[in-house]
Formats: sequence, structure tokens, C-alpha cells
Amino acid sequence: MSLEYLKKKRILLVDDEPELLKMVRSILEEEGYRQIETAQCVKEAAEKAESFSPELAVLDVMLPDGDGFELMEKLRKMGDYPVLFLTARGEDEDKFTGFGLGADDYIVKPFLPQELLFRIAAILRRTYKEEEPQVRLKCCTIDFSRAEVERGGERIPLTAKEYELLNALYRNAGRIVTIDALCEAAWGDNPYGYENSLMAHIRRIREKIEENPSRPVSLVTVKGLGYKLNVEGK
Amino acid sequence: MKSIPKLIRRFVGILVVSLFLFTALNIVLLAFQATRYSTSGGTWSAAQKAADGMIMGGDGYILSPDIQEELQEKNIWALYIDNTSLEILWHSANLPAEIPLEYTASDIANLTRGYVQDYPTFTGTGKDGLMVLGYPRESYWKHMYPSWDFQMIANAPRIILITLGANLLLVLLIYIGANMGLLRSVGPIVEGIQKLPLEEHVVLKEKGLLSELAKNINRTSEILQSQKYQILKKDAARANWIAGVSHDIRTPLSMVMGYAGQLEQSPNITETDRRKVSVILSQSRRMKNLINDLNLASKLEYNMQPLCVKPENIVALVRQVAVDFINNDIEGKYPVEWETDENLAVCMVQADRELIKRAVSNLIQNSMNHNENGCTIYISVKKEGADCIISVEDNGAGAAPEQLEKLEKAPHYMMCDTNAGEQRHGLGLLIVKQIADSHGGKAKIGSGQHGGFGVEISLPCI
Repeated sequence: MSLEYLKKKRILLVDDEPELLKMVRSILEEEGYRQIETAQCVKEAAEKAESFSPELAVLDVMLPDGDGFELMEKLRKMGDYPVLFLTARGEDEDKFTGFGLGADDYIVKPFLPQELLFRIAAILRRTYKEEEPQVRLKCCTIDFSRAEVERGGERIPLTAKEYELLNALYRNAGRIVTIDALCEAAWGDNPYGYENSLMAHIRRIREKIEENPSRPVSLVTVKGLGYKLNVEGK
Repeated sequence: MKSIPKLIRRFVGILVVSLFLFTALNIVLLAFQATRYSTSGGTWSAAQKAADGMIMGGDGYILSPDIQEELQEKNIWALYIDNTSLEILWHSANLPAEIPLEYTASDIANLTRGYVQDYPTFTGTGKDGLMVLGYPRESYWKHMYPSWDFQMIANAPRIILITLGANLLLVLLIYIGANMGLLRSVGPIVEGIQKLPLEEHVVLKEKGLLSELAKNINRTSEILQSQKYQILKKDAARANWIAGVSHDIRTPLSMVMGYAGQLEQSPNITETDRRKVSVILSQSRRMKNLINDLNLASKLEYNMQPLCVKPENIVALVRQVAVDFINNDIEGKYPVEWETDENLAVCMVQADRELIKRAVSNLIQNSMNHNENGCTIYISVKKEGADCIISVEDNGAGAAPEQLEKLEKAPHYMMCDTNAGEQRHGLGLLIVKQIADSHGGKAKIGSGQHGGFGVEISLPCI
């Protein structure tokens, strides 16, 4: 899977610590992100947001002239893009305030570069997925924009549930997604008692995407826990 | 308030006993007085005796001399009136001058009932006359109209009993009324005293009989409240201090971890340097965990962590934690075995999602920390009766029985006021215990079936 298109996204970093801004910028640049702007306070961030029109904002909660939650509301009025909080305040209340206002994710300092990169990539992929609808697997390609699997010139349509399940797996490509999370993705809240249906759907998906559905390589089972989608090029 | 009925019983008991004592005392006093002054029968019998003592002599009637002498001595005069002629047949020598010497039938009726010239008179029936004895003035008081309704006399015992009963009832009512008044003022005070050990704020009305007591209880309550507030303030200050310090460490530590993480990924460093960087990284990670643990442990300890409980499916929750660990264990040094029975899909518990996740990840982290060369981690959820049991075990080094006992019994340095040199085990397990406690459950530390270390958290199911 190529994530190149995501690397072109404009990212706005806001933190009152210049050293931290420098470090995060270097982490992102090393990963290949090319359009990065930084700001150290609410005022500067608002100005930068206007001129730069970011596609993702990474905000600190505590800023010298206000807090990150306020800033998020301000930014949301200017444009609809995801917001990730990066903060030294680890308390649960903050987490709820952040998510309550519609933050897309929340990372508590200190963090590992890989963690930050993964979360940013996940948010970008989730938000801007239509630009990369083609996902290459071992023996086929999933076309999310058309809800189809392309396999040796043949086009196989996906049902709505199959689409939801594959989408949930793809958003966490290379990582295990629990049975519960998959049930929730396909059947909504309180997804109890769908385990057998889930197994049936997974079997049907495998028939569409695997060369040998009884020996899956792309959509693998992790016994008792969940499933993992292995994507090519990652 | 069990003491109030006891008090009432006691009061009534005392009342009944005192009523009995009163009655007994009265009877004794009455009897004493009666015997002392009981002479009314004596006067009438003396008159009869005198009547019987009249002797028909040569020149008319005469009273026998010894009786005469006796009367003389007591200063009693005597008359003997003829039955038919109503004339005075005889009179004593000491008859006062103002006593008439003629009597009509109505005079006789009057003197029998009452007095002659204020001398109390008593009569006795002689053979053919009436003996009248006159006692000195103011020696006797006579009831002049001694007649009662026959029914009244016939019903006397009943009337007496009813009167007595009514009296007793009245006394009892007055007594209970008075005591209830006292009890009413005691009630709030008793209630106040009972609230004191519950650390509730007590405000009593400082009025009435026991206002002094109420005032003291109010003061005590105020002192207790202010002490409680002081302690809370101190605890809050301590928890805030820890929160502040951990907050301030987070940003610099981010820098350390961030650059170290970048360096580790860099293709331009030597293998030796990479190993050094990875030590920096793993130690920073330890520091990060320590900060998180310290903060949460202090909040749980001082009850400052708000619990946000909802019905949660523990199977799904623990599965998520397990998967998060597998996803983050890039080197694959710590494979996770999911040992939950496949038929157990749901096990609902009233739980704070984040805290339970934290407890389970602490246990996994603990296994990782103590087995640097890797180990398999076995995670399971099972339902035993009304309990949901989360078990995290490993096949690593484990702990000796005495070590386990120490972990189970020894207080952590956070909760210990002595110099806790040797009690410095990690905060991870302490938090697990605190979280289990706050959910009404238990954490059992021991060695699992897989040869290593094992902890079971049991939580009450819904």
C-alpha cells in the first residue's frame, strides 16, 4: 500500500515548546511529510490556519494564551479537518473533553515517534481514504470506491457488511483487529452474539480475496482474538 | 436509637415502683394516725357505759361513783334524761351553768348528732333514760350529717378502685408526658452523637433542656469537619503535586524518547550505538510508565480518580488490551496466548473501561518487565459463579513464595509512614489492587499454571 499521497497533506503543529515542535517536525519530515507548519500559541495558530489551510492539526492542550480545546473550536469554524491532541495532561477528564468536542485522537506525552506516525497516518487514511481507493493484496486488489475486488481481470462485488469489515481491517492494516471491534464496525453498538455471523462473513470475504480460502494469507485469523489484514507494500 | 425504648421502659418501671412505695407509705401513716387518734368509738361506748352505770338509789338516780370519778377526771359532764317526761333525772356536779336543764325531743336529736353549747355530746341508752356525756369544748369534732346514699356505700369498693385507677392513670400520663418532652429533646442529641462517627456534619438546635449538650456536639462536629477538610486538602495537595510533577516531566521526556526513537531508526549509526539508544529508549519507556503509575496510584489512593462505570463486556475489553499489546510488540519477544473459552463471548461487569484496561496492561507490562529475555503471556477471562475472573500469567521467571507473600502483605511505600527502604516494589501491582478494590473486586497475586508469575483479578458480574 502506498501512503505517498498522505505525505503531501498539510499538517499544522501547535505546541508552546519550540524544542518539541522542532522534534515533531523532524520526525514527520524524516517519515516523508513535506508540508508542515508550526505555531506556538492560539493566536499564531489561527493566523497560520488561515494562510496555510491545514489538512490535519496536531495541538497541545496547554498553550500560553488559551487551551487547545478552544483552539480546536476556532479551527473547526475555518475548515473541516481532523485534529489530534498531543498533551502532557494525561487525566481522563481531558480525554473526554477532547473527544467530546470531536477530537480525532489523543496522544499523551511522552510518546514514541512510531506511535505518533502511526496515529497520524491512521487519521489521514481514515479522513482522506477516497484518494487511495485501491488496496493491493497478495492475489487481488480491493477497490473501496466501487466496493469491488479485482482479481485477475475479474470484478467481484462486495456486500455492505463485507465492505465494512474489510474497511475496518484496512484502516488497521497489519495490526490485529479484535472480533468485538469488527462486530461493532459491521453491526453497530452492543454487538453481542454476532461471532458466528462474523465467521461466516470472513469466510465469504476469503473466498473473494484469497487464492486458497482454507489457507488464508491476506486475511489471517489470530486465534480467539481477531483478524489481521496483510496489505502489500507495507 | 435502640436506647430510647429502653429509657422509656426504665422510666415507667421507676414510676410504678414509686407509686407502690407511695401507697404503702400512705397506708402505714394513715394506720399510725388512726390508732393514735382513734377515740370516736370510745366516746360512744363511754356514754353507753355511763348509761349502764346509772343506779336507782333512794332519792332518784345516781351514777356509780367510780364512773363519776373517771368522768370528773377527764372534765366530762353528764346528764340523764328521762325517757318519758324528758326531765333531767340526774346530772353531774361539774355541769357548766350554760347547759339547759330542759330538753325537747328535737333538742335531744340535735345533741345526739352534734353539740350542746359547743360541747361535743355523746349519748348512751339507759334503762329508762338517756345518758348524755358532754366532753370539753374543742376536744372532738362531730360529723353532723352522717348519711350517705346507700348505692354509694354499696359501690364503695368499686368507686374507690376507679378513683384510684383514674389517679394512677393521670399520674402515669403526666409522667410519660413529662418524660416524652425530655426524650424529644434527647432524640436529636442521640441522633447527632450517632452521626459524629460517620463524619457527617451535625447541626443541632441549641435550645431547650439540653442546649448545653447540643452546643458541645455542634462544636465537636465542627472540629471533626474541619479536620476532615484539612486532611482532604492535604491529600488533594499531595495528589496535585504528583500530578503536577508528572505533567512537567512529560514534555522533556517526550523529547528524549522522540529523538532516541528517531536515532534508533536511523540507518547511519553503528550497531553499538543503536544498542545504547535502545537502552535509552527502554529506560525512557520505564520512566513514562512510572509517571503514569505514580499519578494514577496517588489519585486512586486519595479517592481523586472519578470512576466512570458502565456495563462493560470484560471479554471484549481484555481482548482489546491483548491485541493492543500484540500489535505493539514489534520484536515478537512476548507472544500472547488467548486462553479464554470460545463459548464465553460476553461477561458483563459494571466497570470503568479505562481503569480495567489499565489494570490488565499493567499486568502484561509487569510480565514483560520481569522477563527481559521474553516470555509467553497467557491471558484469559472466565466466569466463576457471580464473578468474572481475568487472569494474566506468564511462563517466565516467576516469584518465590516469600516474595509473593511480601507482595501480598507489605504496604507500598506510598501508603507507608515508616522508612520504606525495602518495600520499593513497582507501582504496577499496587494499581491493579487499587483498581480491583474500587470495583468491589479482588486481585490475587500468585504463580500460575504456566510456571511463571500470575495474577487473577476477580470482579463481580452484573
